[in-house]
Formats: sequence, C-alpha cells, structure tokens
Amino acid sequence: MTETGAIPDKWGGAAMNPTVEFFHSAVRKLVAERLAASGKSWEEAVGDPSLELTREDFVRIEAAMLATGYRFEASAQVSAVEEPDKYKPEGVIGDSGQQPRDEQGRLIVGAGDNVFHAKSDITGTARLISTVDVVMDMLLNGVPDGTIAVIDDSGGTLTAPILEQFTGVICMGGTVRSHLGILTREYNIPCLMAAELDGLKEGDRVLVEYSRPAADAYAERDDAGRARIIQVD
Amino acid sequence: MPTKHSYADLLEANAWIRKASDAFYFQCTARTVQESKLFPVNPYIALSYLNAWYRYPDLFRKIEAAMPAEEIGDYARERSTSANIITNGIIEQFYLGGRQMLMDMGMLKPTDALDDVMYVLDFTRRLNLSYHRNHAHILPTDAGLSAQLLPERQVQVFEADALGTKPGDKLHTAVAQFLAAVSQYAFLKNSECRLGIHNSGPYKVAQGEMLVREFVDLAESDLPWLDGVAADVELNNITMPVFMKDTHFNIVDDWASFEAQPSYNHDNMYAVGLYTSDYLSDGYLPVHMDSASELADYLDHLRDSIHAATQGLWKQVAGWSRDQMIDSGLLVYYNVPKDLAHIAGVYDQQDWYTVEDRVQRFKPMFNDEYGNHLIAELVGYISLRSQQGNEYHMAKGSNARGDMWSTIPYSVLGDDEWTESVGPIRGGSTSLPQKTALYTTTQGKLTQEQCNEAARALRVPTLEDGLRHLDDTWVKNHPDDPRVHELYRRTQANSFALKDQGAGLLREDVLRLRKGAGREE
Repeated sequence: MTETGAIPDKWGGAAMNPTVEFFHSAVRKLVAERLAASGKSWEEAVGDPSLELTREDFVRIEAAMLATGYRFEASAQVSAVEEPDKYKPEGVIGDSGQQPRDEQGRLIVGAGDNVFHAKSDITGTARLISTVDVVMDMLLNGVPDGTIAVIDDSGGTLTAPILEQFTGVICMGGTVRSHLGILTREYNIPCLMAAELDGLKEGDRVLVEYSRPAADAYAERDDAGRARIIQVD
Repeated sequence: MPTKHSYADLLEANAWIRKASDAFYFQCTARTVQESKLFPVNPYIALSYLNAWYRYPDLFRKIEAAMPAEEIGDYARERSTSANIITNGIIEQFYLGGRQMLMDMGMLKPTDALDDVMYVLDFTRRLNLSYHRNHAHILPTDAGLSAQLLPERQVQVFEADALGTKPGDKLHTAVAQFLAAVSQYAFLKNSECRLGIHNSGPYKVAQGEMLVREFVDLAESDLPWLDGVAADVELNNITMPVFMKDTHFNIVDDWASFEAQPSYNHDNMYAVGLYTSDYLSDGYLPVHMDSASELADYLDHLRDSIHAATQGLWKQVAGWSRDQMIDSGLLVYYNVPKDLAHIAGVYDQQDWYTVEDRVQRFKPMFNDEYGNHLIAELVGYISLRSQQGNEYHMAKGSNARGDMWSTIPYSVLGDDEWTESVGPIRGGSTSLPQKTALYTTTQGKLTQEQCNEAARALRVPTLEDGLRHLDDTWVKNHPDDPRVHELYRRTQANSFALKDQGAGLLREDVLRLRKGAGREE
C-alpha cells in the first residue's frame, strides 16, 4: 500500500521498510479522509484541533498491522517483556555445525572487529550478558573471574554497572565507534564489535584474538583481518 | 496573502536547512549505530523530534525575550555548559526532524508553520554563529571537522596551568580511570545518548595538541532521575584540557566526538587540568589543581562518587517501565536547548521535562521496530517518500535522489497557501517522577527561582565594559591597547601561572611562567 493522502507527490515512492510504509500510508489516508469530510481547505484544517488525529487513531493503525499476523522485532528487553504478543521471539546464537577450524584443529566459533590492539590474546569463559536480570545478578554477586562477556547490544547502558569487571567483551552488534566500543577503549578492556557467532555456547572456554590490529572504521570490511574466537578445552 | 518574509530571508533559511541536512547525514552515517537492550532508543529519538517541533518556537521566543540568541552564544563560549557544540548544533536538526516526519505522514506541508520554521532557523543560526565566533564557522564540519572555540587568552591559561604527568604516575592513572567512569556514567544518565560528553579543539600546544574534554549535567541538576542517586556528585560540569604528544586529532565533529591519528593512546598524555563552570560561573574555575598529587586524589574521589551514582541509577532504571524509558530519552534529546534558558535566566523545569499531549498521542504506534526503521530511513537511508527529489537530483554525500530535510517553497512569497504556526504550547505529562532536589551550581545548591535570579544578575567579566566584541583579530593589531590587557587579566583571574600577566604573552612566555609556577612534571 502506498497511500498518497491529501498531498500530491510527484517524485515520492514507498518507504523502504514495510512497517514504516504501512503506518505512514495509513496516517496519510486518515488525514485525507478527515480533510475531505471537513469541507475545509488544507490551510484552514491543518491547525484545527477538532480535526487532529488522536491517540485512538494511532492505536487502531498499529492494531491493523498486528491483525495481519505480523509481529515486530524488539530491540529493548522491556518492550517484549511488557507486550510479548506484539513482538517476535528473541533470536539465539545459531549453530551451523559446520564451523571452520584453526591451524591447531580447534573450532572457530566466531569473528569480530577489534576495537583496539591489545597486548595479547585472551582465554576466558564466554558468558551471555543480554538481560537486566543477568546484569543485576552479577552486580549483586560479582562477575566471575575470567568472564568474556558476550553482549548482543552495542549500547553502553545495559552493562554499565559491571562493564569494568569483564576480562574481555564480544559484542554481536554495532561498530568499533558504537558506545560500547568507546567505553571498552576507555576502560582498556579488549573488545570485538560486530561479531558474528556460530555455535558459541554459554560457559564455553574461548580464546579471542584481541592482539590482532584494530579494525579501520573507514575501510571496507576485511574478513581476513577480523579477530577470531576459538573454542578451547 | 503572501508571507512578509523576504526572498533573501527564504534563501538564507533554505541554505541553512540544506547545510544542516548534509551535516547530519555525514554524522548519522559515519559516526555510530544507536541501539540498546535497556532503552528503546530509536522510538524515543523519533518522539523527541516531535516534541521539539511543537514546543521549540514558543520556548525560543520566551528565551529571546530575556536575551538574544547571539548574546547567549557569547555567554556559552566563555564557560562549559550544556549549551555546547553538540547541543547548540543539533537543535535545528531535531526540530526539522519532527517537521519531516509529519510531512511524511501527510500531516504537514512544507509551507506549514512558516513563521515558526523561519524563526527557529534564524534563532539557531545566530546562536551557532556566535558560539563558533572564534573560528568563524557555524559547524565543525565547515571547519574540516575541528572546533577551535576558544581565543588565545583562554588557551594560554589552560596551557600555563596544566599539571605535568607521565604514564604510571598517580595522576596519569587517576585521569584514565576517571575518564572511563565518567564516560560510562554519561551514557547511562543520558539514557544511552552521548549528549553528556563534549570535546572541542584541537589546539596547537608546545609538545603537541590539546583537546578540551567536557562532561556535563553530572550532579543533581536538571535531570530529575539524578535526584538522590547523584547527591554526592559535587560538580555538575567538568572541563578537562588534555595535552597529548604524538597525537593529531584529525576529527572533532558536530557531535563533539573525536578521532586521532595515530589512535588515541592515553600513554601520550603529558599534562592535564581540571575545571568546573556553568551558567552561573564567570569563567572556568580550577578544581584542586594546586599540585598533581592533590588533583589525582580529587579525581579518585570524584570517580568513586560517580561510580556509586552509576550503580544507584542503573538499579533505578532497571525497574522503569517502557514508557518511563521512552520519556527519559525523549526528554534528554528534546531538552538540548535547556541551558539557553538557564543562561537567559528563564529556566522552567516544566518547559523542558514535559511530553506534550500532541506527542503523547503518537506513542501507541512507536513500537521498537517502527522506531528503528523510521530513524534509519529518516537520517540514514534518506528513503522516505517526503525526502525524494526529482530523478536528476544527486544529493551531497550520497548522490541519491533524497535530501534529509525539505526546504521551504518560494511560492509563499506570492500566494496564500501557507500557515503561520503550530500554535501555542499545550499541556502534557511525563511518566517519570517530578524533580524535587535543588540544582547543583557553582554558586551552591539553589532552587529554580534562585538559579534564574542569579543568572539574570550575572555579568561575565570578559563580556562586560566594552570587551565583548574584542576578538583575536582585533587583539592582533592592538597588542598594547589597555582594553586588551584588561580582557586578558580578567581571563587570567583564577590562573596559577598567568594571574595579572596581561596580553603581551607569547608561547615562550607562557612556558617560562608555567615552569616558574611548578606546573611541569
């Protein structure tokens, strides 16, 4: 649906994302209907409080999309917790079963962009830090020694109270310039950003190649230069 | 009836719209990807744009009734406040973002609210021109991604008084640990956005380059969620000039973030200072800079209080509802101009911490996915219907058909198809607790009314008695004028090494006086 609404547009097309297109087309349609029913000119109508769209209008627009069976992707944990029926289930780390092996025959379970060049590689225990409850538990009971935090959030707030206690960080999103990248650099905690994982599990012992050169934020992606995450016994 | 704005006014306004559009495109596509598992970031960003659209015009008229925008820019330049590079420069972006979203929803034409749009653009242009007067650009992108805000007289004081340090010593370690802790806190208290972190410069100094690093709104002040948890944070704004060798700051951008070549390495820091200031200080006030040891101890103390505030605030935020998280981020973004009201002495907490009803109505539609994709299309892909130009058009930076913000049609000069305003500010609400604590300032803990009275009474010495318009270009040709000596003496009033030294100093004099004052390692 590409609804032009009350305002003609010679060059416009559909929005790139279906949700944006659905919502904006629906709003345009509603505005056009209300304007036509009012019998007023645009300039008379646009500031008329009696013709304004209401909260109920926007409730109906979202409900219409959900009625198609579509479910939204959540980004903040609280969104899916408060309205679970509205969002898709959260993804988990995939496992293709076809991971490559390193020079010593060990499984390579992921790779990412190094935020900075650390003095050495680090071996530690991978622990998934993706919920408020996990952070709260570690805040109250301490972060286990040797924790390499696997985080699916490139922000700097979810792990704020415990970040400085991590031995290393693997972030499944963002870029080396994301907030988490900025903070790990300030704390001098080795960190991979934009990591792609395959078969990494909670509690795995991993060696992370933090001593590889830092990723160039302005260069094209260099798969060969990415730091590897290697499963060790 | 056609508008009374002139053709020249419209040309100027549209050039500012396009400059803002191009600059924001560079920032949004080159600098970061915003996301958080804690805060619904993009939904709150989009909603903040709408709050800006409906409320800025009236609030700026209220501010300018007390002080013109260009005078506020001068006041802001003499101190570190929340009126800085990122906040001043981003005001028109948020406002135009609200306009563009509503146009894309078919709720607005580019000819609507014309008087409001013209006024907000004019206000922000005058503010930024004045704030950036020293380097005579309006945005850091125009200056090749640098931001030399300060005149010689202030940089001389920073260089003369900085305390020498080297890797492994107590001060060096304290600075590194403090910067990490305060950066972490700044992201959390600002609901995942970078608005609490500010950098300006670089400046050429004796052994390399100086960057002025700043952190603002740290204590119990305007942010209501810091009441209680930040009670022990003593300073609301912190300015830390850092002196680096073997480092070139090649990017200090419109969002006041930096990059360096080679990469920023704390081991290259050879001197540092610590100051505080705000809308009630008459300049930069040194903090525990009598010796390196004293400064190191104080930074450790400050870090401890900030660390405690981080933990306390995180526990509080972890219990918030989605609506509270939305409101906190929405208000942090929306209130980027709030210190302009503080400087003018007309600050009202309700003006800056209310989500207006015209914005509240949109909330049911702002699920995470819609918010994420709307912001991505609006400021990244430039793929919204309302943003598309003709098929021959090639936009700056992308060569695509779209431009981020739509210009104003010149038809308003000849016909009556336009409207004046979004109308007066209306009521609203917020799901967050109301502010109860006093405001932490350099004049003590004050009530809102006391803050406004003190701001209206304040006379910044370097802007008084005919000194306001004496810039470096004038100083160059009047080195012995009594007024230039007075201007420099007033800037040097709190300096350890330069007090009363006046205007005749060159770098070798500054370094000699610095050595004499025992500021080297």
